[in-house]
Amino acid sequence: MSFANKRLGKELAKIHGSLPPGITLVTADGFQEWLLDIQVLDANPIYMNKTFRLKFKFSTSYPIEPPEVTFTQQPDRPIPMHPHIYSNGIICLDLLGQQGWSPVQNVESICMSLQSMLTGNTKNERPEGDAAFVASNRRRPRDIDFYYHDNTV
Amino acid sequence: MDRPHTHLSDPSPPFQIHLPPVSPGTALPNLNLKHSVDSRALTYDGTVDENLVCPICRCPFVNPVLTGCDHVFCRSCILGSLSHRSLCPIDRLPLSDDTITKAPKMVFNQLDSLSVECPCCKARISRSTVENHLEKYCLDAFVRCPGYIEGCPQMVKRVDSERECLHFLVDCPDCSEEVEQIEMKDHRENHCTERLMQCERCDLEIMRCEEKQHEESCPEFIRICKWAEYGCQYKAVSRKHILHLESCQFKLIGPLAASLKGEISQLEDKVLDLKVQNELQSRRIKFLETGSRTSSDRPMDLTDLSLANLSVSGPTDPSDSGNDYLLSLLEAQQTRINQLTAELSDFQGKNTMMLFNETLPIKNELAELRSTQQVTCMHVRWLLRLRLQENQRRFGVGPGPGSSSGPDGGGFGNDLPLSRRLSDSTRDVTTKL
Repeated sequence: MSFANKRLGKELAKIHGSLPPGITLVTADGFQEWLLDIQVLDANPIYMNKTFRLKFKFSTSYPIEPPEVTFTQQPDRPIPMHPHIYSNGIICLDLLGQQGWSPVQNVESICMSLQSMLTGNTKNERPEGDAAFVASNRRRPRDIDFYYHDNTV
Repeated sequence: MDRPHTHLSDPSPPFQIHLPPVSPGTALPNLNLKHSVDSRALTYDGTVDENLVCPICRCPFVNPVLTGCDHVFCRSCILGSLSHRSLCPIDRLPLSDDTITKAPKMVFNQLDSLSVECPCCKARISRSTVENHLEKYCLDAFVRCPGYIEGCPQMVKRVDSERECLHFLVDCPDCSEEVEQIEMKDHRENHCTERLMQCERCDLEIMRCEEKQHEESCPEFIRICKWAEYGCQYKAVSRKHILHLESCQFKLIGPLAASLKGEISQLEDKVLDLKVQNELQSRRIKFLETGSRTSSDRPMDLTDLSLANLSVSGPTDPSDSGNDYLLSLLEAQQTRINQLTAELSDFQGKNTMMLFNETLPIKNELAELRSTQQVTCMHVRWLLRLRLQENQRRFGVGPGPGSSSGPDGGGFGNDLPLSRRLSDSTRDVTTKL
């Protein structure tokens, strides 16, 4: 039983017990990949009545290293429009990068951060160069050096 | 955190057993085995205070440390985090290994007193005692097989370690398969192909190894009446007994007889007790009788008058002499003690007087000698002064160091204290004498 699995076991126990509103667990089979749904609860017209699916991928060094968190597209689960979210689901959030991550974060706190990131957004657009990035990117999200150019969103 | 810290989907036990190599021929076999317990995998009792939970591993702290910015983490957790980023995971302030110190003792105490479930016997114990409990006390924990001196490498639960090594094959009485003796019970209950049988009487499927217990509850088992002891002849299958009990002629007499029987047996016990007591008493009386007689015949070389009085009680009626004898003996001893005390104080007084008488003349003599010695001293001093004056008169005021004495020696302007001058001159004169 590795360190990561123990920690994830604890988190899962807590998630099974209670979750903040707007966050639901979809699947958590094993300790490699979990799926969660999030909703934006206040009346933001961009995300009204929409549910988004998040995919968490955990490495064995979680929580020392951040999990890989992306949005995944399903017929009823779109990729949210946001200037920091690429159309392939990759999220540009410092919290999820090597620099911004802290081991005290957890699945629940990441979901809540993403919820609030969507809540505060007013621009119904994709990041600059989205098409080019989506077409060219073969790297894993955690290895991408995002330039956190805009801290207001 | 309203759920207890349970451990999800973890089949491996939260401890490791250290099996030291077998050393044959040890005199006292110590079967205990050291267990190293992973505190993070234990099941904690109820909800653990959030302040005692490491924010990194989400478990109650294991070996907690305090950072320079006043946050507490498990040592291994924070070191793992610092190997990636030299920041505090909570406030993101710069942090390095050497600003980390051991957490206060109080934190350790609180953690030690957390109640956890023993991974083997499920008993509630405090976290700090788990390893010791597993090593020495837990009945479900593993210890070495008692046969390890003979080379048996197996481990058994402590509860099975009382007997000798049970790691040998025997035939199962039901299926005649070869099974290790230690697993026989489990085999007969859970694995044996022949473990189930049909009761001949009630057609119920029962466990073969529990056949005897089944007889108690089997409704078709032929039993005799509850009151058979007191004369009822009824004999039928169990299920008919309920009806019979209603109509049994001994229904009323039975309980009465039973209570009487109980009373009688109680009384018998009491009689037996009294008999024993009686025997003891009579033996004691006999002993005292013989004792009093010998004491009265004893020669009285050591005892004086007081014990002579006692002998009066000796030859009296022997039947009630026991206690009297003891009492008189006590009294005699008392008077003797009193006498001895008086003598002792008398002796002490005498001694003091003698000492005083002898020392008094010595003291007197001493005083006399002292006064004579003083008189002689005075004489000598007077003579010395006389000689000194004579000398001065004869030589005048000389330049010698000793001759500077005298109140009229002021030619040198010497201002030494008087006593000093006197003693100097005296010494000087003594040499001249």
